[in-house]
Amino acid sequence: MKTSKYFLFFGLLLVASMAGMQGCKKDSDLQTPGEVDLQISNVVGAKPLALDGTTYSTPAGEIFSVSTFEYYISNIKLTKSDGTVYVAPNTYFLVDQAKPATQHLAITGVPAGTYTGVSFIIGVDAATTQADPLALTGVLNPANSMYWTWNTGHIFLKLEGTVTSAGRPIVCHIGGYTDPYNAIVTATPSLAGKILSVNGTHSSTISLSADVLKLFDGVSHITLSTFSNGMMPGAEAVQVAKNYGAGMFTVTQTQDN
Amino acid sequence: MTIVNPRVLAFLLGCMLLGGCGSKGSIDPVTPTPVVPTPTAYTLTLPAGFPTPVIPADNPLTNEGVALGRMLFYEKALSSTGTMSCGSCHQQSKSFTDGLPLAVGVDGVANPRGTMSLVNVLWSTQLTWDGAFTTLETQAQKPLENTIELHQPLPASVAKLQATTLYPPLFEAAFGTKTITPALTLKALAQFERTIISSNSRYDKYVATRAGFSADEVAGLQLYTTHIAPGVVRGAECFHCHTQPLMSSGYAGKFFNNGLDLTFADPGRGGITLLAVDQGKFIAPTLRNIALTAPYMHDGRFKTLEEVLDHYSDHVQMASPNLDPNLIQGINDPPFGTHMDLTPTEKRQVLAFLKTLTDSTIITDKRFSSPF
Repeated sequence: MKTSKYFLFFGLLLVASMAGMQGCKKDSDLQTPGEVDLQISNVVGAKPLALDGTTYSTPAGEIFSVSTFEYYISNIKLTKSDGTVYVAPNTYFLVDQAKPATQHLAITGVPAGTYTGVSFIIGVDAATTQADPLALTGVLNPANSMYWTWNTGHIFLKLEGTVTSAGRPIVCHIGGYTDPYNAIVTATPSLAGKILSVNGTHSSTISLSADVLKLFDGVSHITLSTFSNGMMPGAEAVQVAKNYGAGMFTVTQTQDN
Repeated sequence: MTIVNPRVLAFLLGCMLLGGCGSKGSIDPVTPTPVVPTPTAYTLTLPAGFPTPVIPADNPLTNEGVALGRMLFYEKALSSTGTMSCGSCHQQSKSFTDGLPLAVGVDGVANPRGTMSLVNVLWSTQLTWDGAFTTLETQAQKPLENTIELHQPLPASVAKLQATTLYPPLFEAAFGTKTITPALTLKALAQFERTIISSNSRYDKYVATRAGFSADEVAGLQLYTTHIAPGVVRGAECFHCHTQPLMSSGYAGKFFNNGLDLTFADPGRGGITLLAVDQGKFIAPTLRNIALTAPYMHDGRFKTLEEVLDHYSDHVQMASPNLDPNLIQGINDPPFGTHMDLTPTEKRQVLAFLKTLTDSTIITDKRFSSPF
């Protein structure tokens, strides 16, 4: 009698636990699309980026501070384990160091599966950036202060600050979508063998660091004190873009939540 | 025979409920018969090419709320002396400014700063010159209660409104209650302010059709939107801060030091953030209807647009702390030029363009005028 009572008790407890903890995770959820989040931390080398006048040093010993750091991330693609690529539709984000909420990029509706790679444009694709500005909505609207004119399109990346070691400002506005000054670059930061499991039961997060120092090093070394304040499509803008496309983003962590 | 202790059963049921899928209970609350009709949604027409504004979810625009807000905006009972309303400083004929260098309240005392235009204020994510507020609901309390503005605590204003025969039914129509509160008063004011949209200037027509500008106006727009490449491309840099299509930095929520002074009598944004790097920075206010909103700058120091252009061209304090880097590097005549150095022709062209931003319809539109 007593035995059956406790048997029933634990039986009920088991049922309750299953109902409670597993209630939402139906088998079908494993097949439904999930969410992948990109969590971005802007850094300068090993230090977090701050816009409060903090000074940083380049490897060459130049000292500078940053007052503005903003850039677009668009056309996000995720590579599946089988090598096929999922192109996330209509993904346009404007990351602004002054607005922490913009550093969290949510990609919803990602088909269930396992993923081994991520890539995205740092900037805006050519077709979109040359659209009639009256048709630009959301983060792409010129009111976001990341746009030149119809002819030149968006400012893909904006860094402003002071090269304190040279006593001059640095104004780095990178854009341009036509050759030979096409500054549209794609970043493909390595997941280093990590596998993201995406389905409707949880979200997956890719934590990325974006290193300001990599704007000025990597493919071409650029000296801050003689940088000619790039602000129009041009050869120097392309140099900076190739630098940040190659090395600015590093995956620091992947996590299934 | 009891198989399981009832308390244990309750615990088990609790587990199931807590861990469940959050499905809603099936018991519907009893819906009382509404005594007043529900407010009707206000149709906000957004101009083509303007961004999507953020409207607080707890204060959707309704026809009744906007109409009430318009009355409150022009209601002098909201001032301690009964002599001024919001509309006293935000005059429609001057694009909702007052023509004064510094705003003056009911007691004749001047504010440290000038009245800001309210056109297109619904797109501003940072309000007032220093971003002290981020919603119109919170902002509106300041000029109502500030001792050098309307100088009347909201509870006193509410009591005055409650004692009228006019307002309780209007609040009921807008918010479902005749009991007037400070929060509902602010909500109604904010609703009205959000409807003041200016998009009917010659500039807007030019953007839509790419036609209708004089040669000077086209050249002025070109200068406005051109970032100076020293020695290569001449420009006037306006657009970085006074960003299209709103011609302000309110949507992006950015603050700038435009080089008025070497030291700051008014810390501007720095007074809010307390950061040294924000000292002397202010929002870039809208340039829409700028020809109607003299005098200029946060302290109204420039009487004319010509003086403003002379400042940016020739008199920016290049050693001012936190000066915007676009102004520091914006030298049109290197290597000997020391400032932007616009030519008289260029100044004339920029001025011609700025005058295309005047929307003559909004200053007479009955929807925004006093109902009294």
